[in-house]
Amino acid sequence: MTGPRTPTEGLRHRPTEAWIAAQRARFPVEPTIDEVFTHKLRKRMAAVEHSLDFSGLDARLQEFLAAQTGQSDLRIEALERLSGGASKEQFSFWLHWRPEGAERPVRQRMMLRMDPTEAIVETHRRREWEVLGAVHGQVPVPEVQWLDPEGRALGRPALIAGFLEGTVRPPGADRMSGVGMYFAPELRAALKDEFVAILARIHNLDWRRCTLPSFAEPEPGTTQAVDWTLGLWERAWHEDTLDAHPIMERAALWLHEHRPVVARPVLVHGDYRSGNFMYDDRLRINAIFDWELAYLGDYHDDLAWASLPLFGCADEQGTPLASGLLPVEEFLQQYERVSGNPVDRERLRYYQVLSYYKISVIAVATSLRIAHGRRTHLDAMMNFAAGLGYIGISELNRLLDRI
Amino acid sequence: MGPEISQFLAGMRKTMEQVVLPNLSDRFAQEQAGIVTATLAFLEQVHDKVFHYELLEHHLYQRLLGQTLDLLSVPEVTDPEIVETLAAIQRQLTEDPPGGDIHLYRYDRLRAGNESMKELLCALIRLQPALPDAVRTALGDLLQPFFRDLERRERSWVKPLGFDAQADQLPDIAELLYCNDRLQLPGDGRP
Repeated sequence: MTGPRTPTEGLRHRPTEAWIAAQRARFPVEPTIDEVFTHKLRKRMAAVEHSLDFSGLDARLQEFLAAQTGQSDLRIEALERLSGGASKEQFSFWLHWRPEGAERPVRQRMMLRMDPTEAIVETHRRREWEVLGAVHGQVPVPEVQWLDPEGRALGRPALIAGFLEGTVRPPGADRMSGVGMYFAPELRAALKDEFVAILARIHNLDWRRCTLPSFAEPEPGTTQAVDWTLGLWERAWHEDTLDAHPIMERAALWLHEHRPVVARPVLVHGDYRSGNFMYDDRLRINAIFDWELAYLGDYHDDLAWASLPLFGCADEQGTPLASGLLPVEEFLQQYERVSGNPVDRERLRYYQVLSYYKISVIAVATSLRIAHGRRTHLDAMMNFAAGLGYIGISELNRLLDRI
Repeated sequence: MGPEISQFLAGMRKTMEQVVLPNLSDRFAQEQAGIVTATLAFLEQVHDKVFHYELLEHHLYQRLLGQTLDLLSVPEVTDPEIVETLAAIQRQLTEDPPGGDIHLYRYDRLRAGNESMKELLCALIRLQPALPDAVRTALGDLLQPFFRDLERRERSWVKPLGFDAQADQLPDIAELLYCNDRLQLPGDGRP
């Protein structure tokens, strides 16, 4: 592994406090996003390789849960690592405990979702916790139980939720993290309407009535929501990339010069696509996952992301499908009908550019950065993800040429 | 010197495919071993082209920065940051001039030179709003074909990783690098 090749690269490898301050001043982001990004850079000063050894985690978990519940006799068994996913380390375990109001002890399967040393997307577990709690009962999500926001008990920030049984990858889908996932016609027919309806429900949720203290409220009728989300992705690029890239610079400039006003911010999922939902044996969607990128902004962001050709695939006749489920035009029309939110094609185009910019940041900058530092449980996968990222940059450039 | 790198890689991939993968029972381990195997297959395709890929990039960035310098070194361009960036480009091209002997240096040195040139180009792109409109348009016209070649080259490079739904429409990276088994450096005056 080589050292830094230029002074800028040296600062990304070993950030100084002055450089961190300059990044914070340059890119406007929400306060909690600033918190996790700044923490990431300070951690980078200590070159710690991520270890996959999770022996000892069960003891820490037991101690943490006993303290949280006040039940010193609760018991954990069968703690095991889960496959799938690309961001957080995930484990399942069985918990013997007495839920509040229960008459007798139960054995319940739980999921532990934990930050690696550095992640493909640096996000705040408290935000994820808050939003999962806010949508529970209105959108199918795992029920969150406990949170260790700074990782004081478990070593790294983590949340614990009830484990749900179901299928994320349909038979034969072996692509990384849901990318290009193929659903057979009968699956598509069963899932597509619910996929759209749930998205509409998320966007129409009255978030002002929810408890979301870690989410900053953008000023309606301004570009503030876009400023913050663009600031996040630009900051991630400039803090994480191993190589400067002129097309990414071109795109960032275009995105700045064309920022749309967001009249009425809604709850945006931030990663709504195939690979991030699960269905049960009755072919009903029973969970929407990966809320870590949720924010208050423009619903067109989710529409553009969910219909990005990179995440979908074509049907048997070659028609491109949004998230592998339904033709893109049908997806948009159905969303308009179900949600009552009009789809502005010009605005959608803006968020398509932003979507390609985002996936390029994730798969070319952050994924390669964390693999370079050996900071994750998925170093091999993170290098491999570059294959997706450079397609993202290519599509980004082609889209900008067409506009 | 032997064996060839390609032989090492092919041997490891075969072992992964026929020994390790069939005998793994843990799903996480299977998933990761599958990625390792696919990565080995990718490396088999590209490992012998890395130096020439970077050498081509070096040539193309040098050429583009030279053209950019010619275009922007006019009285209408007065923004101090742009003027400073142009001076930095001039220094870069003086220290590592076109037609120089970079091909004789270590790979790391070549990569470092390329990264310096990329950073300078990115700085100029960022500063475009400070250019007079006509100059900005002319710079955009200069950059557009460069961007197209760049994204096509990178996409061909990662094609063996298997993500690309348009893979059958993309040239192999060797087709973009070589003609008659020789690295093609556009504008170097050789056939």
